[in-house]
Amino acid sequence: MQENMSTPLENFINYKADTNMQCGNYSIDIPPLKEGEQYRFHFDAVACVGCRCCEVACNEQNNNPADIKWRRVGEMEGGEFPAFTQLLNSMSCNHCIDPECLIGCPTESYIKIAETGIVVHDDDTCIGCQYCTWNCPYGVPVFHEERNIVTKCHMCHERLDVGESPACVQACPAGAIEIEVVNVKEWLECDIDEQANMPFLPDARITNSTTRYTLPDDLPEQMKEMDEHILKPAHKELPLVFMTVLTQISLGGFLALFLGDFMSLFGFENTNWIMALLVMIPAAIGLPLSALHLGRPFLAMTAMKNIKTSWLSREALALGLFTGLMSVVVASYFFNISILLRLILEAVTLSIGIYGIYAQSMIYRIRARPSWNRITTNFKFFGVAYIGVFLLAFISSVSSIHEAIIPLTTLGMLGALAQLFFSYEDIRTLDAKENEYQLQRTKRLLNENFKKVKVIRFVTLIIGGVLLPLLALVFVSASSITAASVILFLAMLITFSSELFDRFLFYTTVVPLGMAGGFFVGKQRG
Amino acid sequence: MIGKIKDFLGFDIKEEKYKLSHDDTFGMISDEKKPDKWVFSTCGYCGVGCGLYIGVKDGKAVYTKGNPKHFVNKGTLCPKGLSEHQMINSPHRIPSPMIRKNGELQDVSWDEAFTKVSNEFKRIAREHGPQAVSVIGTGQFLTEEFYTLGKFVQLGLKTNNYDGNTTLCMASAVMGYKQSLGSDGPTSSYEDFEHADTIFLVGANIADNHPILTLHINKNPNKKVIVIDPRASKTSQMADLFVPIKPRTDLALYNGLAYIVMEQGWEDEGYIKANTNGYKELRKHLQDYPPQEVANITGIDVKTLYELAREFVSSKKVITGWTMGINQSFMGTDTVSAIINLHLLTGHIGREGTGPFSITGQCNAMGTRETGFTSSLPGYRNYGDEEALKEYAKIVNVPEEIIPRERGYKYAEIIDAIDRGEIKALWITATNPLVSFVNQDKLRKTLAKLDLLVVQDAFMGDTAQIADVIFAAATWGEKEGVYTNSERRCNKANKAVEPLGNSKGDFDIILEFSKYFEGVNEMLFPNWSEPRDAFNEWRKVSKGQLCDYSGMTYELIEELGGIQWPCNEEHPKGTKRLYSPDIPFRTADKKAKLLCLEWHPMAEPISPEFPVILNTGRTVEQWHTRTKTRAIDILDNLAPEAWVDISPKDAKKLKVKSGDRMSLSSPRGRVDDVVVRVTESVREGTVFVPFHFNEQLVNTLTSESFCPKSGEPNFKQTAIQLHSSEVPEGIHLKEEESSGAIAHHKVVYEGVTHKEKEILKSL
Repeated sequence: MQENMSTPLENFINYKADTNMQCGNYSIDIPPLKEGEQYRFHFDAVACVGCRCCEVACNEQNNNPADIKWRRVGEMEGGEFPAFTQLLNSMSCNHCIDPECLIGCPTESYIKIAETGIVVHDDDTCIGCQYCTWNCPYGVPVFHEERNIVTKCHMCHERLDVGESPACVQACPAGAIEIEVVNVKEWLECDIDEQANMPFLPDARITNSTTRYTLPDDLPEQMKEMDEHILKPAHKELPLVFMTVLTQISLGGFLALFLGDFMSLFGFENTNWIMALLVMIPAAIGLPLSALHLGRPFLAMTAMKNIKTSWLSREALALGLFTGLMSVVVASYFFNISILLRLILEAVTLSIGIYGIYAQSMIYRIRARPSWNRITTNFKFFGVAYIGVFLLAFISSVSSIHEAIIPLTTLGMLGALAQLFFSYEDIRTLDAKENEYQLQRTKRLLNENFKKVKVIRFVTLIIGGVLLPLLALVFVSASSITAASVILFLAMLITFSSELFDRFLFYTTVVPLGMAGGFFVGKQRG
Repeated sequence: MIGKIKDFLGFDIKEEKYKLSHDDTFGMISDEKKPDKWVFSTCGYCGVGCGLYIGVKDGKAVYTKGNPKHFVNKGTLCPKGLSEHQMINSPHRIPSPMIRKNGELQDVSWDEAFTKVSNEFKRIAREHGPQAVSVIGTGQFLTEEFYTLGKFVQLGLKTNNYDGNTTLCMASAVMGYKQSLGSDGPTSSYEDFEHADTIFLVGANIADNHPILTLHINKNPNKKVIVIDPRASKTSQMADLFVPIKPRTDLALYNGLAYIVMEQGWEDEGYIKANTNGYKELRKHLQDYPPQEVANITGIDVKTLYELAREFVSSKKVITGWTMGINQSFMGTDTVSAIINLHLLTGHIGREGTGPFSITGQCNAMGTRETGFTSSLPGYRNYGDEEALKEYAKIVNVPEEIIPRERGYKYAEIIDAIDRGEIKALWITATNPLVSFVNQDKLRKTLAKLDLLVVQDAFMGDTAQIADVIFAAATWGEKEGVYTNSERRCNKANKAVEPLGNSKGDFDIILEFSKYFEGVNEMLFPNWSEPRDAFNEWRKVSKGQLCDYSGMTYELIEELGGIQWPCNEEHPKGTKRLYSPDIPFRTADKKAKLLCLEWHPMAEPISPEFPVILNTGRTVEQWHTRTKTRAIDILDNLAPEAWVDISPKDAKKLKVKSGDRMSLSSPRGRVDDVVVRVTESVREGTVFVPFHFNEQLVNTLTSESFCPKSGEPNFKQTAIQLHSSEVPEGIHLKEEESSGAIAHHKVVYEGVTHKEKEILKSL
C-alpha cells in the first residue's frame, strides 16, 4: 500500500491534456456568455466512431443504473455495400430554447437557467407525473423508478459552473462532443434549419433545439434506424385509462342532469339528489385514481401549480373544481335551494367540467406523440360522455321517471354513433403523410399486437352503444320498464368496458417521435 | 411496511445517493462513490495501454478515471475502462482455491490445492516424462508474472509445452517480425498516427477494438485514412478510402502492391540497398502477382491497386496498422511479412509517422512475447541460439542444461497432443479456451481426456467450471506490476484493493507453488518476495537486447507516464520507434529480409453445402470471453448477446429480418438462436458474428486451420450455412458463384502438423 500513497497524483481540474480538443480534459475553456447567448452541445457525427464512451461516462458520473441513460447513442445506416454509411447519434438533452418539458410541467420543475440556457430539472418539486417524458420530442427526460421522479441531462452544469468538462465531453476519444456558445437570435433566424437536424430526429423547430450537428456530406437519402425491428407497446397507464373515462362519463351524466333539471322548468318531472350523486361518483372515483400513476402521489395536489402554461395543471384544477361543484349540486338538491340558483350553479359546474375535459384532451395534443396529436383525440374524449347519458337513462328507468328514458336513451345512442364515427376516423387518419413513420407504426401495433382488443372495442361499442339501447327503446315502448332497465344497465357496462379498451389502445399504441436507437437497446425509453 | 408505504407515496427521492460533490483531483463527481484515495494504474483490458486512476472507497474500487497526463489516452477511456472498477466486484469472482471432489468443486486451503497439483504433476512427469505436463497462459498477466511463470514452467517443471493465448491473437505478428526483421517488436508509436500522411488500417477495426487510438488519428490534421477490410466495419467510416477486399486475400494484395511498386520503379533503391536482402528473389517471385491476377484474387480493381500503390510512394510518411484480420489467418505470418516487404521497399520504416505497426489485442501480450518463455527465451533470445542460451543461464545463475533448446508445442499442438494422449496434465492461466479456441465441440471432448486440468483464474469462466483444481487468482487492481502496450510502452499497474477473499496475486501463486517442488524455488526465485524482484531480474535479462528494460524502474515508469523500450543508458527515457538509423535490424547481417511469400486459397472454401463465409471479431462493449465484462450492467445492457450481421440480399433469401432468430452451421457444429441484424456493412455471402458469447458460441463453427509458422488459428474465414425458420435448408449457391482456385495457387493442408518430436529426457 505504501507505494500507492507515493504515486504522483495531480490535480487534474486545472490540467489540460494536449489534445487540441475538449476531450480528455477534466477542465474546459469556453468563452463567457454575452447577452442573448447560451451553451449548447455540438455533436460531430463524422468524428464519432460509435464507441459509447459517452454513455458509460455519463452513467458513471451521475451514479445512474444501467437502464437510466441520460445520454444515448443511436445507430442508423444507408447506402449499399461497400458504399455504406453508418450514422451515429449521441444525444443527451438539447437544452432547447422553447423546451416542451418546461412548458408542460405542471409543477414548474424545469428551469431554463437564465445565465447559461441550460435546462435543468428540480428534483424536489417533481411529482413524477412523467408528462415531460411525453412532451419532449426527443424522449430526453426519463422516469427513474427508484427515485420516483423524472431525471435528465443537465449538461453537468455543476461542473461547467466551476470550469469543469461535462462527463461525455471529457470521455469522447474522437472529440465528437463539444460544448459551444450559441447566439440564440442568429440560431433561430438562420442556422437551426441547416445545423440542428439529424435523420430520424423530429424537426428542431418544435422546441427550438440548440444542439448543432455535423453530418457527413454524402449522406444517403434513404437511411434506416438500426432499432427498426424493436416495436414495443407504450406504457398502459391503467390509472389514467380509468381516470379519463370515468371523468368523461361524469361530464355526460352531468350534462343530462342539467338538461333534465332545465326541462323540469317546463313541467317535466324533477331531477333529484340521487341522480346528482350518481353522476358525480365516476369522477369522484376517477380523479383520485389518477394520483396512482404519479411517482410521488403525496404531492398530487401540487399538480395545479402551473396554470399558466400546463394543460395538465389546468385539467387538474378544472376537474377538481368540477367534482367539488358537483358535490355542491348534490347538496343543493338535498337542501332544496331555489331551482334558478341551482340551474345557475349547474351551468357553472357544467362549463367548468367541459373546460376540464377539454384541458384533459389537450394534454395529449402534443407534437411529440403524433397518434395523440389529432383532433379525433378531443372528439373521442368528449365522445365518452354518452355513457353518462345512458347512466341517467338507467337511473330514470329504475326511479320511475319514465318519460326521460326514451329521450335520454336516444341521445346516448346518438352519442355512441358519433363515438363510433370518431373511432373510425381515428384509425383512418393514421394514414396521414405527416409523421407517417410513427403513425404507421401505431397502426402496426393496433393490427399486429392488439388486433383482438381492437375488434372487441368496435363490437362492444356497436352492441352496447347502438343495439342494446335500440332494444331498450323497444321494451320501453312495450312498457316493460324492468327489462329496459336491465338492458340499459348492460348497455352501460358494455360501453364502459368498450371505452376502457379504446383508451387502453390509445395509450399503448402511441409511437413517440425520438431518435434512432441502438440495435439491442432501442431508444432506451418507455 | 412503513418504508414501503413511504416509498409508494414517493417521499424518498434518494437525493443523497445521487448528489454530486467536489473531489480535489477530478472535480464534481458522484458523492456516493467519492473515493478516499486515487491509485495510479494502467488499464488491464486491451493492448492500447491507457493510463488511469482507480478510485478506492472503504477498501472497494468505486471509480476509474482516465489519466490526462498519460501519452496514450490523454484522459479518455473506452466503455470497458470507464467501468473497470466494477469488474473487480463481479459476482463471478472465485474467492478461494477449489478442488473437484465427488464431481463438485469445493473450497479448499491453498496448501491442499498446491499439494494435490504438485503431486499429480510429479507423478505424471515420472510416468510420462515432464513434457506430459503442459501450460497454456495468457496475455493478461503482468510482466513480472509472465517471467516468473515462464521460468518456473520451463526450468522448474521442465516442460517446454507451454504457450499462451497470445498465439490466438499476436503470434503471426511475432513470427512475421522475426522472419523479416530478425526479432519481434512493433516498430512504431501511437504518435506516428499523428504525424503520418497516409494511414493504412488493414484488417483492423480500431473503432470497436481500440477506440482510444482514434484520439491519435484525430489529432492528425492532414491525414488520409485508407481502410482495407472485407467488412464495412465502424472503422471503415473513418476512412477517406475504404477498400472492400475479399476475405483472406491481403497477402495477395500486398504482393500485388509490391509488384506495382517495382514495375513502376517506385521503390526506394537507396534504402533497399543499404538495409535489405532478397530484393532480386522477391522481384522474381512477384511475377506471379501481376495486377490483373491480384484484382481477380482480391476483388479490388486494377485501377484501385495502382492508386493504393501510388499512395504508398507519393506520401512522405506511411504507416500501416493491422490487427486480427491479418494475424488470425493460415497465412498470418507471411501476410505480416508481405506488409513489412512493402514498407521496406518504400523505406517507410524507422522514421516518424511510418512503420509496419501491429496493434496488440491484450493488455500485456507484449509482456509475454518478451519475457514469457513461449515463442523465445526471455529477451527475444531465439531458441537454438547457444550463445544467447549461455548468456541467459549466466545472468540468472542456472545450469545451462536445464534451459530448453527448442520451442515446445504451440497452443493448437498442445490441444492435439492432449487428444493423442501424449499430454496428461494441463495448467491454464487467465484464459478461457472453451470460448476462445476453434472447434469447440471437439475441444471439450479433448479436455475431458486429461488426467488433471488446473485453472488459475479470477473468474468462474467456462473452462474453470470443468477444472479439477482451481487456483483462485487476484485480478487487475489487486496486484502490482507492469504491462507493455502495442507501442512498446511499459506502464505501471498498481494494487488498489486487497485480493478478494482467499485469492492471491498470480505472482504469489506461482512463487508459493514452486516451493512444492524440491529445490526449485531456491534455484529460480532466490529471496524473491514481491513482483519488484522479478522486474529487477528482467531488467538484467533484457539488458542489451532489443527489448531493453535495463534503464527502467517502477518509479521512473510512473513519473514518465510509461516508457517505450529499448530503455537503457543510451536511451534513458525510452525510444519512440525501432529501426531508425541507430537501431539496426536484428538479423545476423543487420539487414532486413525481403521475403518471397505465397498466397493460398482457402482449404475449406465455400461450397454448395456451406456457401457463406463467417467472419468473427470483437465489439467495443465486451471483453474477449466476457468473464470480466458479463456482470457489468451497463456493458451487458448495451451488448447482451451475440448477433449475426447479414446483408439484405442474404436476408431476403432466408426470409429473415432484423430481430429474427437464426442458426448457423459448419461441418463441425451448429449455433442456434442468434439474433439477426440486417446491414449493408457486410457483403452478400458473408456474415459477421462477435465471438465473445458462450450462449451463442460461434467458435463451435470455426475450423482447425492454423498458420504453420505462428500456430495462429484461421478464425476469420469459415464456410458455413445459415438456417432460418422459413428457409431451414439455407442458401443455395448458384453454380458460377463457387470459386475455382487459380492454377498456380495451390491449396495446402491447414490443420495441426504433428511433428515427431524428440521428447527431452527428464533431467
